[in-house]
Amino acid sequence: MTELTKEEKEIPLIKYEYLDHTADVQLHAWGDSLEEAFEQCAEAMFGYMTEIDKVEILEKQEIEAQGEDLLSLLFHLLDEFLFLFSAEPFFIARKVKITEFDRINFKIIATGYGETFDLKKHPQGTEVKAITYSNMQIHDTPNLHAVYVIIDI
Amino acid sequence: MPRSYEEELKFIERLSPYSWRIKKGFVPNMKVEGIFYVNNNLENLMFEELKASSAQGLVGGFLPGMKQIANVAALPGIVGRSIGLPDVHSGYGFAIGNVAAFDMDDPNSIVSPGGVGFDINCGVRLLRTNLTEKDVQPVKEQLTQSMFDHIPVGVGSKGVIPINAQDLEEALEMGVDWSLREGYAWAEDKEHCEEFGRMLNADPSKVSLRAKKRGLPQLGTLGAGNHYAEIQVVDEIYDKWAATKMGIEHKGQVCIMIHSGSRGFGHQVATDALVTMERAMKRDNIVTNDRQLACARISSTEGQDYLKAMSAAANFAWVNRSSMTFLCRQAFAKQFNSTPDDLDMHLIYDVSHNIAKVEQHTVNGKLKTLLVHRKGSTRAFPPHHPLIPVDYQLTGQPVLIGGTMGTCSYILTGTEKGMEETFGSTCHGAGRALSRAKSRRNLDYTEVLDRLKEQGISIRVASPKLVMEEAPESYKNVTDVVDTCHAAGISKKTVKLRPIAVIKG
Repeated sequence: MTELTKEEKEIPLIKYEYLDHTADVQLHAWGDSLEEAFEQCAEAMFGYMTEIDKVEILEKQEIEAQGEDLLSLLFHLLDEFLFLFSAEPFFIARKVKITEFDRINFKIIATGYGETFDLKKHPQGTEVKAITYSNMQIHDTPNLHAVYVIIDI
Repeated sequence: MPRSYEEELKFIERLSPYSWRIKKGFVPNMKVEGIFYVNNNLENLMFEELKASSAQGLVGGFLPGMKQIANVAALPGIVGRSIGLPDVHSGYGFAIGNVAAFDMDDPNSIVSPGGVGFDINCGVRLLRTNLTEKDVQPVKEQLTQSMFDHIPVGVGSKGVIPINAQDLEEALEMGVDWSLREGYAWAEDKEHCEEFGRMLNADPSKVSLRAKKRGLPQLGTLGAGNHYAEIQVVDEIYDKWAATKMGIEHKGQVCIMIHSGSRGFGHQVATDALVTMERAMKRDNIVTNDRQLACARISSTEGQDYLKAMSAAANFAWVNRSSMTFLCRQAFAKQFNSTPDDLDMHLIYDVSHNIAKVEQHTVNGKLKTLLVHRKGSTRAFPPHHPLIPVDYQLTGQPVLIGGTMGTCSYILTGTEKGMEETFGSTCHGAGRALSRAKSRRNLDYTEVLDRLKEQGISIRVASPKLVMEEAPESYKNVTDVVDTCHAAGISKKTVKLRPIAVIKG
């Protein structure tokens, strides 16, 4: 395994919150760019699964997401990361970085920085069952980069 | 121009003290009417939800349950009515607590994964014992701990039943038959599951590798959220004769309830189907009022593939609940230095409350073959129905209604009236009233845990800081829900159970 750089180990600021929804939870994430809002949204999802400050950046995992439009691209980004957590390698990310954001072909390559989920180390939060399109919103204007996603829990 | 709340109310009409009609026109294209069952306490929640959404207009927020019931009434091929049960609340596309049946002989009829839910074949099972509360009381803490140690719970936990990829394929095809063959279930268990614990049209080849990879490590795990295993005692018997048929003899008798589903496997099957169906809808020009009501014609490849994958997920859920039943039996046997057999730990019944099934029903005097979607709703077939086990032919199907952490649970039985009015369906639980985020803000987890302790309930929970999301205050009153079903005649109260120990994710 290659050693992570100092920059890779840096902990990002939190730019997300959890909003009201009767049965589920709505993630609201924002940032200085749409990329950052997407990254924050994935971090928000991981944040619901455990106490995220207990997760160290020890390794990285790369994913690729392909969509048909921006909404489905966000959907698949989150779905890929959920899968990384739910099956081998049971990976939980503290930080998500998008390395390639192709808005024409709706493709993202992203890296998650974190470690293997370990019940001895990470307190159990709530399980995320699925990502939904329910009231999914993407706002991308010069002054506002924000996304809203309801996850089924 | 959206309608005002007063204008909306013109489409809602009281049918009986326990039910309301949603008239055509409430939303566009309604093919049939809607109906929902509520008593005075529950109806306020329904109308408040509608009022809040009218005030908000169309921006943001989410659709109220009434609108969702009506949108389902606009789906192609629906027959009878779109039904909301007393625990109904806003869900994904369909409301949770929503029943809808589609005519199998109509080529336009659809199947919708949203009408089943993400947790395919989520359900409840109840085991009896010959122990009494007095037997358990002195060792309650040890027993609760032992159950918690035996059953993997909460996010990120892995199953203890050894299984490889080939075993999983077989389990998906065989359901409880697999558990039986591997020695995790009793032959009698099978008899007391809906469909005998095996959907015959299951086809693992219609399931994505991704779903299988998510399912493999999670087989035999409880999960998180509202899932639980509880030790309960019989608190009240309303129908002595029916209770006796279930092996429930007296107050104080100890039972075990398990509430869980198909875990990540089912969640992924549902996710995959929603993605595929979006495409099929465009191709077949299926128009719905809400993008979330993704669906496909039953006869289409997508529709058929979903039903086969859904059935595989249903089988997964039965194997999952069977595996945890095995673990509970082990925990009890060790604690009481006995065998599960000698403790009479028989399965009373196992119900599915997130599923779609092909059934025969009478619609306008004609016998029809229907695809009945029950999302957050339990099948409740009446006495003499051919699909219920011999042991319950005279009582009607046992219906298990799980309460929320610390509240009572109920056994109901199916009725003829339910068969006529609700396609043989009734409620499934309490139904949420508060959002999770609101619960987290308004309630304190130590208080919730202390209150349970005061009530004499032992609790072991993997994520204590999240118990307020599942606190009774976050839910509708399960007694109101059950009383409404009883008063409306769509199912009959038989036994009330009270928890003495809770194991949760």
